[in-house]
Amino acid sequence: MVSFSGSPAVKPASTRLPLLFACTGLLALAAGVTCLTLRPDLLAEYHYNQHVVAVTHLMVLGWILTVVMGSMYQLVPVALEARLHSERLAAVQYLLHLVGFVGMVWMFWVWNMKQVGHFGSILAAGVGLFVYNIIRTLRHVPRWNVTATAVSAALVWITLTIVAGLSLATAKCVGDFESGAPQAGSVGTLLSALKSLAGTLARLDAISMMHAHAHLGAVGCFAVLIVGVSYKLVPMFTLSEVQNTPRAVLSVLLLNIGLAGSIPAMVWQSPWKLLFAVVMATGLVFFGWELRAILRARKRRVLDWGLRYFLTSLVMFLPVSLLGLILAWPGLTLNTFTGRLENLYGLLGFLGIITFAILGMLYKIIPFLVWFSCYSGLIGKTRVPTLSELYSTRLQAVGYWFYLAGMVATSVGILSAGEWNIRVGCGLLVVAVATMLINVVKMLSHFLHTSSPLPMTAQPRVSPQPI
Amino acid sequence: MNSLALNESAVWEILRQVYDPELACNIVDLGLVYRVTVENGRVHVQMTLTTPGCPMHESIRVGAERALLDLEGVQEAIVEVVWDPAWNPSMMTEAGREATGYTHF
Repeated sequence: MVSFSGSPAVKPASTRLPLLFACTGLLALAAGVTCLTLRPDLLAEYHYNQHVVAVTHLMVLGWILTVVMGSMYQLVPVALEARLHSERLAAVQYLLHLVGFVGMVWMFWVWNMKQVGHFGSILAAGVGLFVYNIIRTLRHVPRWNVTATAVSAALVWITLTIVAGLSLATAKCVGDFESGAPQAGSVGTLLSALKSLAGTLARLDAISMMHAHAHLGAVGCFAVLIVGVSYKLVPMFTLSEVQNTPRAVLSVLLLNIGLAGSIPAMVWQSPWKLLFAVVMATGLVFFGWELRAILRARKRRVLDWGLRYFLTSLVMFLPVSLLGLILAWPGLTLNTFTGRLENLYGLLGFLGIITFAILGMLYKIIPFLVWFSCYSGLIGKTRVPTLSELYSTRLQAVGYWFYLAGMVATSVGILSAGEWNIRVGCGLLVVAVATMLINVVKMLSHFLHTSSPLPMTAQPRVSPQPI
Repeated sequence: MNSLALNESAVWEILRQVYDPELACNIVDLGLVYRVTVENGRVHVQMTLTTPGCPMHESIRVGAERALLDLEGVQEAIVEVVWDPAWNPSMMTEAGREATGYTHF
């Protein structure tokens, strides 16, 4: 028998900070789906307008990116067995991120691109700290694996997404460059470079640029991360293991290669876009194949609701990939119907895959963070609650079905441009998010009244959840 | 202070009171405890976890030590986490499988 002599007991980062990220993100999600319920026209019309862009950034930066970053501060040390480089940097980053995304969404809504650029720069500074912090953490990973590779790739893509976003904002301000601005010195050089970049980007097709920017973030950062962490988390929670490592690695590689090729193809509207879309879809096929093998080999028969949220989201890769291939078809003309397909593609990508997956994982992350803060020191001393006793699994199940129903209704509404359908669908999503918020409040309430000690002989009240 | 007489059976029994909060099952029925030795008030336990990098690692290890120190006659408790052999679900007891809803092997 050999004891593990490395650093097996990785001390998790402060639990309060990831919780702060998670709660902030959930509030942004609630605001986003409420906004879509009140303004269903945003999903019924073509997506190139200021309010759609504002709500999209609320969802992507305020909800998805906030939770992803907070989760990575907690998950990267856990999943990759390396201690977070700096919690202080993470705290500073939270503030920069909060100010940055709130300001950006507000300025997008009123379409003041100059201020979008300013708030975007604040957000970018925060993302820079985040990337630096995680890179420093990854340097201490004892065993490099497919998850670490995916996390590293996602860091590159998120950086490129932010740079692309700021460049697009700059391009919108090309007419705002002051003729009296300094021409010499480092400031003059920087302004000159910015002006040149803005002029170049302004000559490219604005919608293609926006699509490329969106894919950099959605696929490069979020889809790559979801695929990568699935290879760690799904085996961990189902008691299984990766069945074919080369297949897993290939899925991540193809996804990245396909994306790297599709971005320039999108920007320059090249027919090669289809080829690279096929490469990405092939990567997802390998991912689905490996995931199926992992699940077939699992020893845990019962899948809890958190996993069901997560796995259901992964199933949505199928319609999203099909839509992606259709929309990448060379020479496809933009008309009312294809515009609706694009809206559906975005909805299923951001809310169907990414949001549903994150909601599922939050049902793993938040209970752990609360439990760790409140009960970790009591284990072995008194009977402590299990993670699933911290929230209502019934409410969690209700949220799951409301979310699915909401996605179906909203999708139908988008395809038919029916605002009433969209309103009903988004209303169902609001209810689903409300169930999550109620459960989060229930979990956080343990900070206020940690359960009174129970006798050690007491058994956990939970039983395996039925399929 | 638990009044069970200090022997290996008592140690196994007290470890049944340490639960994995994710799996809602005690570490003995999960098959995580590999070896127990008791010698002159000194208890040494070798155990594992379901996966390396388990976020509950320290909580469970320290919790097990805490439970052991509650046993009458224990002067020193050492809980060592080992990874060889790697845990697999077939190590669970029947009670563990029932408690966690795992498939049979």
